[in-house]
Amino acid sequence: MTTAPLPAGAPGRLALRLRLGRPSRAGWLGIAGVISLVVVLIGGIVLGSVDLAPATTVAILAKRLLGIELGITWLPTAEAIVMDLRLPRVLTAMVVGTGLAVAGATFQGLLRNPLADPYVLGTASGAALGAAIAVLIPVRGLILEFGLLHGLAFLGALGSVTVVYRLSRTSPLAPLTSLLLTGYAVGSLLAAGLAMAMYVSGTGLRQIFSYLLGGFDGTSWLRLVVAAPLIIGGSVAILVRARALNGFLLGEEAAAHLGVDVRRERVVLLALASLVTAAGVAIAGLIGFVGLVVPHLVRLLVGPNARVVLPISALFGASLLAAADVVARMLGGVPVGVVTAVIGAPFFLALLRRARTGYEL
Amino acid sequence: MTGPILHADGVTVEVRSRSILRDVTLALEPGERVALVGPNGAGKSTLLRTLAGTLRPTAGRVLLGGTPIGSLERVEVARRLAVVPQQAALPFAMRVEEVVALGRLPHEAPLRGTRPSDRAAVAAAIERVGVGHLLGRDARELSLGERQLVLLALAVAQAAPVLLLDEPTVHLDLRHQVEAMELLRDLNERDGTTLVAVLHDLGLAAHFFPRLVVIDHGRLIADGSPRDVLSDALIRDVFGVDPALVRIAASAGRG
Amino acid sequence: MDARFPAAPRRGRILPAALVVLVAIVVGACARPAAAPNTVPATPSASAPASSAPTDSPSPSLAAAFPVTVTDDEGTPVELAAEPRKVVSLTPAATETLFALGLGDRVVGKVEDFSVYPPEAASVADVAKFGSVDVERIVGLDPDLVIAGGSNFNPPESIQQLRSLGVPTVVLFAPDVATALEDIALIGTATGTADEAAAINADIQAAFDEVTSATAGVPARRVFYELDASSGFFGPAPDYFGTEMIKVAGGDPLTSGTPGVYQIEAEQIVDFDPEVILLGDAAYGVTVDQVAERPGWDTLSAVKAGAIRPIDDVIVTRPGPRLADGIRALAVAIHPELELTGASPAASAPESASTAP
Repeated sequence: MTTAPLPAGAPGRLALRLRLGRPSRAGWLGIAGVISLVVVLIGGIVLGSVDLAPATTVAILAKRLLGIELGITWLPTAEAIVMDLRLPRVLTAMVVGTGLAVAGATFQGLLRNPLADPYVLGTASGAALGAAIAVLIPVRGLILEFGLLHGLAFLGALGSVTVVYRLSRTSPLAPLTSLLLTGYAVGSLLAAGLAMAMYVSGTGLRQIFSYLLGGFDGTSWLRLVVAAPLIIGGSVAILVRARALNGFLLGEEAAAHLGVDVRRERVVLLALASLVTAAGVAIAGLIGFVGLVVPHLVRLLVGPNARVVLPISALFGASLLAAADVVARMLGGVPVGVVTAVIGAPFFLALLRRARTGYEL
Repeated sequence: MTGPILHADGVTVEVRSRSILRDVTLALEPGERVALVGPNGAGKSTLLRTLAGTLRPTAGRVLLGGTPIGSLERVEVARRLAVVPQQAALPFAMRVEEVVALGRLPHEAPLRGTRPSDRAAVAAAIERVGVGHLLGRDARELSLGERQLVLLALAVAQAAPVLLLDEPTVHLDLRHQVEAMELLRDLNERDGTTLVAVLHDLGLAAHFFPRLVVIDHGRLIADGSPRDVLSDALIRDVFGVDPALVRIAASAGRG
Repeated sequence: MDARFPAAPRRGRILPAALVVLVAIVVGACARPAAAPNTVPATPSASAPASSAPTDSPSPSLAAAFPVTVTDDEGTPVELAAEPRKVVSLTPAATETLFALGLGDRVVGKVEDFSVYPPEAASVADVAKFGSVDVERIVGLDPDLVIAGGSNFNPPESIQQLRSLGVPTVVLFAPDVATALEDIALIGTATGTADEAAAINADIQAAFDEVTSATAGVPARRVFYELDASSGFFGPAPDYFGTEMIKVAGGDPLTSGTPGVYQIEAEQIVDFDPEVILLGDAAYGVTVDQVAERPGWDTLSAVKAGAIRPIDDVIVTRPGPRLADGIRALAVAIHPELELTGASPAASAPESASTAP
């Protein structure tokens, strides 16, 4: 087996030029992402509807997390607010933000559509319908602090993606086109079911509606500990497959030529991204824009290399969603989905103006 | 290595009860340079896909290095066989060097990503194909011809011993067509790369390729040197044109 | 063209699923004891040093009233170790009840209410609004008792969160008058004002008795109680609080026919031919003239007889101490010829919008 020999003295100038440029920008962006994550984490713990002196907050964290006494006393309520309300909430928002951004990046790469978001294959409609049905069923029980609503939302999300995938396979159209179109059709059908459920929901309408708008009320350590492995684990599993995702950049046939097991990778990546989305949607409701705008923006800045896009999208997705939640809280209970839309839409419009040529699909 | 490096054995391809390829047998020894020619719709691209292993034949088999290509891991196939498609759609903005860098995918470890040797291979490929002046440009903004060269550079970066090309000169002007042909010849004679190229230009094919394979209506009609294969009768029957046109092109330049 | 190799199993899913199971086992083994879903212990921080207990008159109840365990409308037992000094009310009805029981200065937080009553309640801090509860703020107030609304009035998640943080939370929901009275009694028991609560209930009961006997000999009038007409017509569902009230007040209410559904077709209304139309949405600006001019409505008996009357929806449907006023106002609105003692001129509409129960 012969490999083509490199010509003597591979042009140093060329190689140097290839080394610079995007990779270093990715480095800076990564650092910025980590910094923003830390800033948002601090902000999310220090800010809230109750005024706590920053010194108190620091003292509480030092005691509970590091076992260090700082000589400041505080009320038990302050400790409950910091440790049981704010901290798990910020972390949950970060975890969900990570999941949505990574899933969005994956769907965009898999479907080769820069306008795809994690909900494109009917996940949102399925989750919403599942949640609506749960509200209608008069069962109140908790498993690990998750109610029927979360369970059915999760199953609804996964179920709808499965249905979309299976249905799309029976279509003679190209796999990607078929997936997108089937996703649209199934999503519409589920949305109709949701409308019906909302119509007969009576007093449950409020709950369905607040689920649709998305939010982090009711987050707790237990929920975080159950959901985080799913989301983070799934995201890591996707990251490990970044090479395959890169292979898809020029199309499925090119991917096959570059050594990607197209059939398998398509299913696995779809499944992982759907799992991550379903878990995020189950605990936080339908929060939009994060999964679309973050990976899109990152890709514009650092290029489409999934090895870079995925982790940086994760960082900024986490920061964005946690920041949006802090803003939502400070504005007095505005739904998080509204905040992300208000932040995301102008960004997106700016993106569209920057786009030079049309998108080829 | 003994035996053919790439071998299509009695390959038949039927799609929705329509026969695209019928019992095609084609063996390539390492280091060969073969042009696949034939009229539109003859099945050339299908044959190329089957040889690349992305299309499973209805009957017959394809052997890569003596092993059935379907039983090999795709990554393994990609290390041994590179394909230059006619075109590729680009939904995302990608710089030319990023497109070419994709050619190193089969050699990358899943987690580590690109190494200096990969970068050097990419740089070498870009230089060799002659697209260095396009560095930093968005691949979507290139002309079709420039894009074709970039795809060629991708395959060169892949550094595989077998290279399959599907109409690699379709959008190139005459000068670049000739340059591409000379590059292919160089890859073959200097690096020992086995080449199979689907070409529509009989003149180019006859001039640059010592072996021609003619496909028509899914069947292998002829296989041999241009002189032997391109008889007047064949040109008239298969291509439906005046053989004189082809003679002029084939005899121009060095024989 | 698709590479036709057999599909591999979804390996990518097994690992995260196994992680979940593993974590669930680990977490379940060392779950915090305070996370038990049902019984809620009393606030562990009852001895918080810096919280200032507001000075108020000692309650006239029996000394042995605490500790007490009340069972809320969801069947959850809630234990109160001592008489609550700081109470948060998450339903407008509970706010009214607390103030009527003389506990106004103990209410440290309430749900936002556009038709707040009594007026003194307006100065209490808002800690919740439609569909959302600021759990952090409530915890910051360190209350001894929170009264929440069931049937999704407050988000169940927030209620659960409050309980898991050790805040005694009672969930009340009154789909009918009897339960409303029980709720008032329960609030009294929970706050050490059982006697005052009994007195309020006696008043309400007296008003009901009076109305019942006054309408006993009178044929029930067909009533359409309009809740909203801005996009389609909304009226009482058969299981609505107001439906029962209308029946007691000598009315025969038009309902949607399906529990939980409040939409009524225009045809149904015309077919029903109400003798009285009560505008529960008068607070939203719907006037008698507007209604009379609706196309096709001039055939209705109520319109012909001029029996379109605005009514204060709040006192009719809020399960609180003003039910006495509500039933009387309703009875008079349906049967204006009745003479009731203590009938308040509450048939007029308030200026601001109201939230139901």
